[in-house]
Amino acid sequence: MIRALIVDDEAPARDKLRRWLGEQPDVELVGECADGLAAAAAIEKLTPDVVFLDIQMPGLSGLEVAAQLEPETAPLIVFVTAFDEHAIKAFELDAVDYLLKPYDKDRLCKSLERLRGRGEPAVAAAAVRAARLRTGSSERLLVPRGDGLELLDIRAIHWLEADDNYIHVHTAQARFMLRRTLADLLLQLGARFARIHTSAAVNLGEVKALSPLFKGDHELELKSGMKLRLSRRYKDELFARLG
Amino acid sequence: MAAPVHRTLFALWSLFWLLMLLVSIARHLAWAPLVAVTFIVSVYAMRHGVYALAGESYEHSGWAYLFFYESLKLMLFASLWLSIIFGLESFGRWQHERERLLALERHLAETQLAQLRAQLQPHFLFNALNTISAVMQVDVARADALLAQLADLLRASLSASARQTTSLREELELLRRYAQIMQERFAERVTVSWDVAPDVGDAEVPAMLLQPLLENAFKHGVEQSLGPVAISIRAQRGPESLRVMVRNSGSTLAAGGSDGIGLANCRERIALLYGDRARLEVLQEGDGVVATLVQPWRSVMV
Repeated sequence: MIRALIVDDEAPARDKLRRWLGEQPDVELVGECADGLAAAAAIEKLTPDVVFLDIQMPGLSGLEVAAQLEPETAPLIVFVTAFDEHAIKAFELDAVDYLLKPYDKDRLCKSLERLRGRGEPAVAAAAVRAARLRTGSSERLLVPRGDGLELLDIRAIHWLEADDNYIHVHTAQARFMLRRTLADLLLQLGARFARIHTSAAVNLGEVKALSPLFKGDHELELKSGMKLRLSRRYKDELFARLG
Repeated sequence: MAAPVHRTLFALWSLFWLLMLLVSIARHLAWAPLVAVTFIVSVYAMRHGVYALAGESYEHSGWAYLFFYESLKLMLFASLWLSIIFGLESFGRWQHERERLLALERHLAETQLAQLRAQLQPHFLFNALNTISAVMQVDVARADALLAQLADLLRASLSASARQTTSLREELELLRRYAQIMQERFAERVTVSWDVAPDVGDAEVPAMLLQPLLENAFKHGVEQSLGPVAISIRAQRGPESLRVMVRNSGSTLAAGGSDGIGLANCRERIALLYGDRARLEVLQEGDGVVATLVQPWRSVMV
C-alpha cells in the first residue's frame, strides 16, 4: 500500500486528488492538510510514503515544507503547482516529480506508476534538495512546540547540541528537540552557523569571546554567558568565519 | 469630395519635395560661380595649349558668350547629378524612418502584451482551470458556469488592449466574475461584499483597471492568510468624481515596499488618461489594505 498525504490550500484541488487517489486500489489516504505548517506536522506524525504537495500556500509554502525535511527520512514528494517556471526548471534538473495544474487522471496515474517503481530514499532526498536550492538557506526553522510545530527565526537560536539521534536547539527562552542530524541541519541553516565540535554548533552572531585551553582547544563564550568547548579540529574554520 | 482633396494633397506634397530638391541643389550650387570660372578657364587654357603644341591656333566664340554657354551646360549637368544624389539620400532617409517606426510599433505591441500578461496572471488562469476540472467531477452545471465566467474574463482581457475605456457597470460585471471564480477556489476562506451606488453604472473607467486591484486583494489577503478574509468593493459618485475602493482584511503592506507590476501599470494608465486629476492610493487601514481610485467623473457615450 502507498500511504498518501494530500496538501493543498484550495478545497476543490483537494477534492480532485482525493477522488482520483481513492480510485487506486493500492493507495491509502492518510490525511489532508490545507496549509504548510499543518503539512509539516502531518508528515512527522503520519509518516506517509508520498506527499502531494501544493507549492503556493499561506504561511509556509510547499517548497519551504520540503526544505525543512531531512533528505534521508523524507517521504516521496510530488509537487503540485499551477505556474512556477523557476521551480519547474529546478525539478526537471533533479528529476523531481511534479504535477502541473490542471492535470488529468492519466498524468496522475503516470506519476503513481513512477512512485510504485522507485521506493529508494535517493529520490525523496532529491526533492528535498531541489526545494532547498529554490528556497535558499531558510531563515526559519520548524520546531515542535506543544502538540504542533512552529516556525522559529533562526537568528534567535544560540547554539545546537547533538545528542544521539536528536538535536537540541537552544534559544534564550527555550530548548527544542528535533529528530535530525547535525550535519544536515547545518546544511539547511546555512552560513550563520558553524560547528565547534563533533556534537555542537553555534550561531556566529552569538559568540562573545574565545580563550585558549590546553592542547589547542579553546573555550567559547556566548553572549548569554554559556560556555562551550571549541575543539582544535574546528578552530581554524571558526576563526576564519568570525573574521 | 474625397478625390479633389486627395489630389490637392498630392499636389502640395509634390510641391514640397520639388522645393526640397531645389533647396538641396541651390545649397550645392553655392560654389557654382567659382567652380564654373575655374573649370572653363582651365579647360580652354588646356585646349589652347594642346592646339599651340600642334602648331595650330584654337578658334572659339567670344568669351562673354562662351562663359554664359559653358556655365549653363555645367549647371544643367550638375543639377542632374545632384537630383540623383538627392533621390538616393531621400530614399535612405525614408527607409531609416520606416525602420524606426516599425521598431516603435514593435515596442508598443510588446508593452501591450506585457500589460495583458499583467492583467490576467497565468497563475490565476491555471488555478481556475484546475478548479473547473475539480468541480466538473461533481457538478457539471457549475463547472460550465465557471468556464463561461473564465471565458468572459479572457475576452475582456484580450479586448482591453484595444479599448481604453468602458463603463463601470461592465467593469463591475467582470470583477464579479473574477470574484466568483476566486470564491469557488477559496470558498471557506473569503467573503466578498459589494456596495455600489445606484447612479455610478454609467461612469467611464479605464478598461480592466480595477481587476488588478481585486486580484491584489485576493493575492495578498486571501492567498497569504490562514484565517478567513473579508473583501469589499465600494463605488460612489462625488460631485465631480468617481471613487472606487477595494478593501481586504488580513494583510499588511510591506514597509517601504514598491508597487507590483499590476499597480505600476494602473498608475501609468490613469496618468495617461487623466493626468494629475486621477489618483490611486494603496494604504494600510486597520488589519487590512485598501486601494482607492479617484478619477474625474465622465459618463460613457450612450
